Amino acid sequence: MIYREAGQFKTSYNSDQAILPIFQDRVAMVLMLLFAFVVIPIVANDYWLGSILVPFLVLSLAALGLNVLTGYAGQISLGTAGFMAVGAFAAFNLQIRIPEVPFLLAFVWGGLWAALVGVIFGLPSLRIKGFYLAVATLAAQFFIEWLFTHFDWFTNYSTSGVITAPPMKMLGIAFDNPLNKYLLVLCIVVLLAFAVRNLVRSEVGRAWMAVRDMDIAAAAIGINLMKTKLIAFGVSSFICGVAGALWAYVVLGTVEPQAFDISRSFEILFMVVIGGLGSVAGAFLGAAFIVLLPILLNNLGSLFTGGQVSTGTISHIEYMVFGTFIIFFLIVEPNGLARLWQIGKEKLRLWPFPY
Amino acid sequence: MIKSQAMEKINQKKHQVMRIQNVSLSFGGLKALIDVSLEIYQKEILAIIGPNGAGKSCMLNIISGIYTPEEGTVIWKGKKREKVAPHNIAKMGIARTFQNIALFTGMTVLDNILTGRNLLMKRGLFYEAMFLGWARDQEIQHRKKVEEIIDFLEIQAVRKVPVSRLPYGIQKRVELGRALAAEPELLLLDEPMAGMNVEEKEDMCRFVLDVNEQFGTTIILIEHDMGVVMDISDRVAVLDYGRKIADGLPKDVRTDQKVIDAYLGVG
Amino acid sequence: MDFWFFLEVLIGGLLSGVMYSLVALGFVLIFKASGVFNFAQGAMVLFAALTFVRLVEYGVPMIGAAVLTMIVMVILAIVVERLVLRPLVNQDLIILFMATIGLNYFIEGMAQTVWDSNVHVLDLGIDEYAAFEVGQAFINKFDVMAAGVAGALVLVLSLFFQYTAIGRALRAVADDHQGALSVGIPLRHIWIYVWSTAGLVALVAGLVWGSKLGVQFAISTVALKAIPVLIIGGFTSIPGAIIGGLIVGSGEKLAEVYLGPFVGGAIENWFPYMLAMVVLMIRPQGIFGEKIIERV
Repeated sequence: MIYREAGQFKTSYNSDQAILPIFQDRVAMVLMLLFAFVVIPIVANDYWLGSILVPFLVLSLAALGLNVLTGYAGQISLGTAGFMAVGAFAAFNLQIRIPEVPFLLAFVWGGLWAALVGVIFGLPSLRIKGFYLAVATLAAQFFIEWLFTHFDWFTNYSTSGVITAPPMKMLGIAFDNPLNKYLLVLCIVVLLAFAVRNLVRSEVGRAWMAVRDMDIAAAAIGINLMKTKLIAFGVSSFICGVAGALWAYVVLGTVEPQAFDISRSFEILFMVVIGGLGSVAGAFLGAAFIVLLPILLNNLGSLFTGGQVSTGTISHIEYMVFGTFIIFFLIVEPNGLARLWQIGKEKLRLWPFPY
Repeated sequence: MIKSQAMEKINQKKHQVMRIQNVSLSFGGLKALIDVSLEIYQKEILAIIGPNGAGKSCMLNIISGIYTPEEGTVIWKGKKREKVAPHNIAKMGIARTFQNIALFTGMTVLDNILTGRNLLMKRGLFYEAMFLGWARDQEIQHRKKVEEIIDFLEIQAVRKVPVSRLPYGIQKRVELGRALAAEPELLLLDEPMAGMNVEEKEDMCRFVLDVNEQFGTTIILIEHDMGVVMDISDRVAVLDYGRKIADGLPKDVRTDQKVIDAYLGVG
Repeated sequence: MDFWFFLEVLIGGLLSGVMYSLVALGFVLIFKASGVFNFAQGAMVLFAALTFVRLVEYGVPMIGAAVLTMIVMVILAIVVERLVLRPLVNQDLIILFMATIGLNYFIEGMAQTVWDSNVHVLDLGIDEYAAFEVGQAFINKFDVMAAGVAGALVLVLSLFFQYTAIGRALRAVADDHQGALSVGIPLRHIWIYVWSTAGLVALVAGLVWGSKLGVQFAISTVALKAIPVLIIGGFTSIPGAIIGGLIVGSGEKLAEVYLGPFVGGAIENWFPYMLAMVVLMIRPQGIFGEKIIERV
């Protein structure tokens, strides 16, 4: 009975087209933001902030980026980590060469480079679809990995190959403790999530979905397929690039190509699949699932076996559980956790009546 | 009486919008169209009929630019049309529906029809991302237009329902709405009434006639239901084995010996 | 350029290309019969090789181990059909593709949980380093053997597809699922046959790769090399898989030797993909693939 839209009449298209037209949704969003910005900083300890929440937010951002491309524009990509790497390395190289550049600008710079590379590797999408395209994006993944490993210029001729990310300072504030970093990442993620939500409900978002659902019909109503797909690649890669820069600067503290290998790409694809293709909330749900599952499994593992089982075995079991969940979700709910959430809401709307 | 009205309508509107001259098209060894010519006049309802495999859909695909003819020319508003990308056809003012419904299944009715107006909308990623200024105004202003179409097609109740959940007849209507949203001059309907029951057909006929009358849209339709064709079209062109065998007023075509042979087979 | 050296690199490349073809063959079989791009093929190679090598280590004679492994692969096929393919029938191909990525993770995890993740030496009684000379070029004996095995397998499978009742049924299913069903071909059995055959191919590929590299996790990544092979040869063609393999194998070795030094080396990893991308741009269905016609 709580979740009802009855009685909320929209008197203008403006209010009907607000980002969250239903009152309860707006309340929930405000509460969630309050929780994220106020409650968590008060209650969470450094372990939670640094090892769980920050990685979760950064990976959510990457998943959001991929969701733009795969979920909304229907172009599957296995090169997400490659685009993240471009973001990280571009941001790093800008700051190394021009130390005066503030790090936020470097992140944007990283995003822009990732967008450019994304558009270039998106070019085959004009001719090929589905897993053929997935293969083309694999090319991006391997090529980018190789590029950053074999050209020392990108790593500033560091002999060890592992480079420390420059410290993040802005307006006299150093972002050097978990809480600071958490709030920084949270701000970036909220801003970009808001932007994506707006994009997908605007003209360009409809063009993406039209291309995804029925490209011939989309062309017949005047949508330029080429432009639309490339914009999706660009926007998606921009977000992934920023996520990559954050992953290097905030989560790892180092910039290294190994952090962006193909298994990272798969990990992010799984987040999108499990969370829900074509849903902003899904990116967050999926990321939460994939970040929390290993922790849960580890704890369960040591709980039941008393630490008898090697970490190797646990990571193999983790693989199995991941695989099972992927298949399970695809069978039971191809639209992912976000869809389950929506079904829940629809039920709540009718409750206590069956229909 | 009705027939003479139709005749009059045609005479008044002798203004040509499109002219197809001697087009041919083949797929591998199969000749889909052979040397077909066809004129399309402003504000008329032209029906293209013919037995299965006669090349009707092929003709429509040539008009809408999905196929490019191997021979012959297409003249649009007095100018020869070269090979164009399909999305530019829509910008010329030609919209269409598909034989097998080609809606955007993941989107709501509202979004489907709004997408039809995309080509009239401005693009600017930053403003759209922030939903600011003109981006917001544009959404609202086009929403108004879309609501008019929704009213016109009597689908207000389902505007926020994902199209995949709608029954077939309503989906066809939404598809018509999406084509109308672009405010086309020429509307191509590929079997708009296929698979419908009598009531649904009646509704669809009404919409087609209303579109023609209210918006002055030129309409080309492919249809198998002869009753419908004879009732609503101003002119009928008949294709058989890729050739045009008749073209004229419905009543003349109906009695044409070649057409009867094509449909019944020559004994 | 030294002609003999060139020849040596070329032949080495062609021979290793045949081994890529071996993995690609498993993909082609499943793709032909169900339109599914089975990303788990690499994991199946790993699983088959691990099962075999562990059985041999437990003292099972080689023939017995091969038979037992084959039985395990058939059981895997049945389980996959029952638990993955059947519930996903009529889904978008892209959904099925992602399901096989999940399957890939599952099988990789299972293979290493049930057996272990150490490197196992697989000795089939062939010396990996023996070489014979042709003119002034050295050619690896083992590679020649592997190529022979792959060639024989391809021949057998081609004949099987062409001349047996099951082969005909497979081709019918590949053409049209519903059509095949309506003339009474049991789709489920067909899928089990196909996945079992892919299991057999995985076993052979696993043995060949395993004895070359050692049986370890890395051989499942050989599958990633098979993907460009498929793109170049076409997803639906058995000869395509062979030709594609030869092109990728020789291409990457030649590129590595003659191009690598100029750009920092180790280009083997991405070169096949770039090659595949070029083919995709020119001929999206691959060299031997059937033309994709879209109807409106």
